[in-house]
Amino acid sequence: MTMRKALIGLVVLALLAALPFVFPVPYIRHIFILAFIYAVVAANWDLSLGYGGIFNFAHVAFFSIGVYGYGILTKIAGWSPWMALGAGGVLAVCAAVLVAIPVLRLSGIYIILVTFAFAQLVLQLVVSQSGLTGGMMGMVGLPTFQIPGYNLVRDGKLGYYFGALILLVASTGFLRLVVGSRLGLAIRALRDDPDYAAARGISVARQRILTLAASAFFTGVAGAYYAAYLRIASPDAFGVSLLSLLLSILLLGGLASIYGPVVAALGLTFLSETSVDFGPWRHIVIAVVIVAVVRIWPGGLWSALRRIGRRHPS
Amino acid sequence: MSGDALATIVVSALVLGSLYAIMAVGLAVVWQALGIFNFAHGLFMTLGAYVAWQVASGASWGLWPGIAAAVAASAVVGAIACELLVRPFLGRKDVVLVAVITTLAGATLIENGVLLAWGGRPKQLPPLSTGTVDIFGAALSAHEATIVAITPLILLGVWLFLGRTRTGAALRAVAQNHEAAALMGLPAARLYALAFALAAGLAAIAGIFLGAIRFMSPAMGGDPLLKAMVVVIFGGVARFAGPVAAAYLIGLVEAVSTYAIGLYWTPSVLFLFMIGTLMLRPQGLFGGARR
Repeated sequence: MTMRKALIGLVVLALLAALPFVFPVPYIRHIFILAFIYAVVAANWDLSLGYGGIFNFAHVAFFSIGVYGYGILTKIAGWSPWMALGAGGVLAVCAAVLVAIPVLRLSGIYIILVTFAFAQLVLQLVVSQSGLTGGMMGMVGLPTFQIPGYNLVRDGKLGYYFGALILLVASTGFLRLVVGSRLGLAIRALRDDPDYAAARGISVARQRILTLAASAFFTGVAGAYYAAYLRIASPDAFGVSLLSLLLSILLLGGLASIYGPVVAALGLTFLSETSVDFGPWRHIVIAVVIVAVVRIWPGGLWSALRRIGRRHPS
Repeated sequence: MSGDALATIVVSALVLGSLYAIMAVGLAVVWQALGIFNFAHGLFMTLGAYVAWQVASGASWGLWPGIAAAVAASAVVGAIACELLVRPFLGRKDVVLVAVITTLAGATLIENGVLLAWGGRPKQLPPLSTGTVDIFGAALSAHEATIVAITPLILLGVWLFLGRTRTGAALRAVAQNHEAAALMGLPAARLYALAFALAAGLAAIAGIFLGAIRFMSPAMGGDPLLKAMVVVIFGGVARFAGPVAAAYLIGLVEAVSTYAIGLYWTPSVLFLFMIGTLMLRPQGLFGGARR
């Protein structure tokens, strides 16, 4: 069984690696690059929200901190882009520990509100420090990634495509490791029965801090990668539309599934990017699709796919 | 600080407090009844303001028919939103989370619907009453004075409805224990829709208040919703008085902060204030038992 799973994983990976050569269209690569980045962000959100049951709405702020961290470090502090990529992750982890402090004593809907407010607070800070961040205008012309003698954006974004794929694979591997570890077991126990888990000696406070910190690292790295790819850092990265896109990816994919968000990220990014020209109708259609999918497949797309797979064992 | 400045702060605090109180009570009613947080609440406000504008300025039938139409339209859309976006998911374990995404989707739908119907050009509603009023040396537009004066009446009306009528008692019964309430023969589905309609109607009134002070845009509901969220976190939702008291307190903090350190940093002050409060009192400033 695990052999079969590993095989399926390898086949999917090979298909994704072959894709830019089968369809040598930069626009399709662009959509996939965005989808990979969103998949990383959503899958890491799944760690705190799906596995940990912590309604952390500051997750998108971790992403934005990666975006702005990259922008400020490369453009103002003059760091090399690769250093700034890692720093984006570290900064996001620091932010996660900061968020964890007020969250420790709260539960349920109060966590949603406080973390939402935290994200707004970070946004206010970014917008008001216009000398550093460009304010509402954001930062433009950020440096791109180079490996000696080669800019990743050349050959129709080929380098960025593979960079994003590597990021997705690394993040997925990390998440599988965390979920299978003692920490992963402990946070699921806390989600399912907090009183029993606490009685068995699991520290709520420590697990919450660790969960949030673990979910923040690749999210921040993805933010920095996003900034390096689009070469901009704008306050839109805090917007409700990005938040609801990512949350839809997560819920459509299915909570506590890691792979679900990846599937949903591809579908939703494709829908959202190809309908850019339809103005308000684009948002209306996406909103209707989201509600319909949540309604029809309560467990998300991933569990629907798995059910189909079980009905037709190959 | 001069007397004039003090009067200006107090007046501004009262106007903001009134607006936030009406928004926050609507959020709290839905939260109490269904246990979910309605992210589309700000859009009921937008919708109300635009319907009022259409009837009052677009068709020039006058402001009062506009207000009536706005409240009715918002309430109907609120009930429909409850039926389509929230009730199908009520039994589910992850309902709190699903409701966030479905109400966000509803908000997107209404916002873009408003954009399609009325366009993005800023509009403004006529004031509830014209002229200025002079209170303790602070010049206050009659519109703002009307807001400050009638908000307590509206809140009193809602309080009496929830506390003193059979329907209000039924609503509270469903909120406390919907299974027991259903066994007693209460129509839970209709009561949920009623809670949403009530909240949406209140939001429409807030939209009419705001639509004559600032310019209207399809995104006008975002900021008041955020403030109303701060208010309900602050006040807790356990008692009716909690969010109302918190609304006026937040209005005061915002007015003082805007005067003392400027408009730019005020939202940060509010959020820090809120996070600090929650670290000391996780159940809200005036919260007792929580749902």
